[in-house]
Amino acid sequence: MKSRKALGLASWASVVTALFLFGQSAWIYGKARVAQVLLRRAWTGTVRGGKEVKPWPWADTWPVARLSVPSSRQDFIVLAGASGRTLAFGPGHLDGSAQPGEDGNCVLSAHRDTQFEFLRRLDVGDALELETRDGRRLRYRIFERRVTQKSDTSVLARTAEPTLTLVSCYPFDAIAPGGPLRYVVRAQLMQSRGVRSRVAAPRAATETPSPSGRGAG
Amino acid sequence: MTQGSGARARTRWLLRFVILFWLAAHGKAKALPDLGPPVKTDQVRSGSLLVKTDKAGVFLPAPALETDVAIRVTGIVARTRVRQRFANAAGDCVEGVYVFPLPEGSAVDHMRLRIGDRVIDGQVREREEAKKVYEQAKSEGKKASLLEQERPNIFTASVASIGANEEVEIEIEYQETLRFDAGKFHLRFPMVVAPRYTPGGTVLASADTGGGSGALAVNPGMGWAPNTDRVPDASRITTAVLRPGETRVNPIRLRVELLPGVKLRKLESVTHALRVDAAEASYAVSLADQTLAADRDFELQWEPDLGSRPRPALFGETRDGQIYALLVVMPPEATSVPAARLPRETIFIIDTSGSMYGTSIDQARRALLFALDRLAPEDRFNVIEFNSIMKRLYTESRRALPDSVAEAKAWVGKLQAGGGTEMLPALAAAFEGAESGSEVRQIVFMTDGGVGNEQELFGYIRKHLGRSRLFTVGIGSAPNSHFMTKAAEFGRGTFTYVGSVSEVQEKMGGLFRKLENPVLTDLRIDWDDATVEAWPAKIPDLYAGEPVVIAARLSNPRGGATVTGQRGGESWSERVTMALSTDERGTDRLWARRKIGSLMDRIGEGADREKVKRDVIEVAVAHHLVSDFTSLVAVDLTPTLAQGTVCTPKAVPVHLPAGWDYGHVFGEIPQTATPGPLYILIGAACAAVAIALRALSSGARS
Repeated sequence: MKSRKALGLASWASVVTALFLFGQSAWIYGKARVAQVLLRRAWTGTVRGGKEVKPWPWADTWPVARLSVPSSRQDFIVLAGASGRTLAFGPGHLDGSAQPGEDGNCVLSAHRDTQFEFLRRLDVGDALELETRDGRRLRYRIFERRVTQKSDTSVLARTAEPTLTLVSCYPFDAIAPGGPLRYVVRAQLMQSRGVRSRVAAPRAATETPSPSGRGAG
Repeated sequence: MTQGSGARARTRWLLRFVILFWLAAHGKAKALPDLGPPVKTDQVRSGSLLVKTDKAGVFLPAPALETDVAIRVTGIVARTRVRQRFANAAGDCVEGVYVFPLPEGSAVDHMRLRIGDRVIDGQVREREEAKKVYEQAKSEGKKASLLEQERPNIFTASVASIGANEEVEIEIEYQETLRFDAGKFHLRFPMVVAPRYTPGGTVLASADTGGGSGALAVNPGMGWAPNTDRVPDASRITTAVLRPGETRVNPIRLRVELLPGVKLRKLESVTHALRVDAAEASYAVSLADQTLAADRDFELQWEPDLGSRPRPALFGETRDGQIYALLVVMPPEATSVPAARLPRETIFIIDTSGSMYGTSIDQARRALLFALDRLAPEDRFNVIEFNSIMKRLYTESRRALPDSVAEAKAWVGKLQAGGGTEMLPALAAAFEGAESGSEVRQIVFMTDGGVGNEQELFGYIRKHLGRSRLFTVGIGSAPNSHFMTKAAEFGRGTFTYVGSVSEVQEKMGGLFRKLENPVLTDLRIDWDDATVEAWPAKIPDLYAGEPVVIAARLSNPRGGATVTGQRGGESWSERVTMALSTDERGTDRLWARRKIGSLMDRIGEGADREKVKRDVIEVAVAHHLVSDFTSLVAVDLTPTLAQGTVCTPKAVPVHLPAGWDYGHVFGEIPQTATPGPLYILIGAACAAVAIALRALSSGARS
C-alpha cells in the first residue's frame, strides 16, 4: 500500500517535471517567434523614423536591421547586442563589429535551434538581404562556410571588404548548449539598392583584429 | 482489468504526446538533408590549421620549446642561466622565434648557441648591426641566434636555420640583485609574457611591405596586435598565445642553489611547490613538479634570522683596475612610534579589464576590501575602476566614515572584469586635485600591468605626480614587473605583489605599514672617493623595511660613504666602510645595468635620444650587456643548409598566464544555443519515467 502510494507520488512528480520542462522549452521557442512579430512593428517605426524604437517598453535592445534570405523565405529583425537576453528574441548584432550597412565586418549571431537554424541549409553562392535603418537594401553573396572554435576571433576581425558574418553554435543537432564550436557563414556585399543607394567603397587593406581581438590585457 | 487497459491507453496517449512534441521541435530539422560539416571537427580542434593563408609552409608547427633554469644566489646577488631548447619536429626547416620574460633589472651578459657539442659565444653588437649579422647568416643557411630586448622585462630570442628534425639550444645568462622587503628576500623568475593591451590607432608599416597581405603591413613583428601610434612595437610584444583546448606545453625546469650567507628562519614559495635539500650553508631548491608549464611567475622567499637582517653595507670587488661596489642603504627600523598619524587622502585604482577576469579580480577585490577597512575616519578616500572606460565611486574624495566605507565595500564587491585596459584616464582622475591642499596623498594602484604603452604612462606619472605618491600592487600570476617597479619609482612610492588570495592579508598589511610610517627622504650619499660614479643617480625615497642597492665605480679601495636623509622631520645619517672581496660577483655588470637604466630614464625626461643611445651603447658594449640598443648575436660558421634556403619563421606560442580566461582577453564568439532541446529531452525522460511508474503501480493494483 505504502509503496504504491510512493510510486503514484513519484509518477506525478515526474509528470509535473516533464510538463515544467516542456513548458520551459515551449516558452523559449514561443518567445523567439512571438518576439519577431512585435519586433516587426518596431522595425517599421524604426525605418520610418530613423531612430531607435524599443519593441516593448522594458526592452534593453532595439532593432538595427532586417535580415532576409530570399531562397528559404527567412525574415528576421536583428537586434542590437548579442547577449543571451537579446538572442532569446532574435538575431543580435555583435557590439563593436561594423554597423549593418557600414563598411567592414558586420557580425550577426543567433541561436542554432531558433532563428539561425536555417544556416545549415545555406550554401556558398546563396544570397542574403539586409535592410538597414536608413531604408537601404543590401544584397550579399555567401563565399564561405566553416566550423570553428568559439575562441577563433579571426572571423570577428575587421575586413577591408564590406562583409556580413553570420554565427551560430555547432553542431546544429547537439542537445546541450555551451559547446566549443561555432558555425560561420560569411557573405560579401554584391550591390546596394533602395532608397539611398550607395556602393560601399573598399578601403585600404587594413585587416586588423576586432577591438576585442586587440586583447583586453 | 479495466483499470489496466485504461492505464495502457493513457500510456499510449502520453507516449504519442511526447513523440509529437519532440517532432514539433525537431522534426523540421530532421526532415531536411544534412549537409554535414564543411570542415572536419578533428581539424577544428587544432585551430591553427584553419587559418587561411596563401603562403606555403605556414602550416608548419612552431618548434617545441623547453626551458631549463639554474639560479645561483650568493648573498644579495643572483646569477641565472636559462637554457632554451628549440626542437623542430617538422619535415621542413624553420626559424624559431620566442618572446619571453626575464626579471626587469637583469643584466643580460651572455648568450651561447649550442649545436650538438659545439658552442658559439654570442657577441654584443648595436641592435641594427646584430640584426644584420643574423640575417646574413640566415640567408647563407647558417645557424645563428639573436637575443633582443623589447622591454627591460621582455626579450626575443630568434634561432635561424633549424633543419627538419633538428634541435638547437641557446643559453642565456644574467645577473641581478635581490629584493629585500618586510624582513624577507624575494627571488622572482617570470616564465611567461602575458598578453598586453595595446591602445592607440593602428599604424601601417611602410607601403612596400604591404604586398596585398594586410596582416603583414600592420604586423612587422610576429605578434597578434598591430603596431599603434601609442605602442609602436605592439607587434613585437604580443606573441601568439595558445588557445584553450590546444595540448601543447612549454615545459620548464627550475632549480636554485641558495647560499644566503646567513641563517634562515624560513624558506618558502607561494607560487610553486618546492623540494629543498639543506646542506650546512646552502640550500638546493627545485620544483616539486619536474615538468611544469611555463605559465606563471616563480617566487622564492627566505627570511633571515632576526639578528642577521641586511644592514647598511658596502661590498666591493676589483675588476680591470677599478673598484665596483654595491651599497645597501637600509632605512631605520619602523619600531619607533610613528609621529602623530597625519590625516591623509587615499585613492584606490582597481583594474577591471578582461585580463583581470578570474582569480586576479578576486585577489584585487579582496586587497581593496582589506585596504578600505584600514582607513581611519579622519582620512579621505575614493575608488576608481577602469577597463575600456573609467568610473569613480565618488566625484570627489570623501571622509572615510562608516557608511561611506560600507558603501564603497558594496560597490567594490560588485565589480566585474571585462574589456580593455585604458589606464591613462584612471591615472588622470587619481591625480586630479593634487595641486591644492597639503595633506598626504597616496594612490594605491591594483593592476596586472597588462599594457604595452608603459613609456606613455611613466611620462604621465612623472609630469602630474605633484604631491601624490603612487603605490603599485601587482595582481595575478604574471604581472608586468617592469610597469610595477617603474611606475612606483616615478610615482615615488613602492610596489607590492599579491600572487594569491591567501597572500592578501600579509602583503597588503606590509603595504599599509609603509603607508603609515614616515618615509626616509632627501637621501644623499657622500663618498670619500671623489672619482666615484654611482647609479642610480637619483636615490628614491625609502619606505619602512625596504632597502635600496646602489652600485658605484671607484678608484680607491679604501674608505666608504656617509648616507644622510630626512625622516619624519628629523635628520638621519649612517656611515659605512668598504668591505673588499676577491670573489667575482659581477658587480661591474650590475653597475653598468643600473647606469643604462638611469640613462634610459633620461629619454623620458626630455634628453636627446641620439645622445642617450650613444651613451647606452658605449656602456653596454664595454660591459657586454643587452639593452634597448644592443643585442647579442651568435653565428655558426659552418652552413648546415643550402645557401638561399628560406626557413619559415615560427613564433613559439606561449601559455595564457595561470588563472586567466582566454575569452575575456581575446573575446569569443557569443553563445548561440538555447537549452530548449535539453529541456525537451529531460522532459521526455521524465514522462517516460512517469509512464513506467504508472504502469508499475497499476500492475501492482491488478
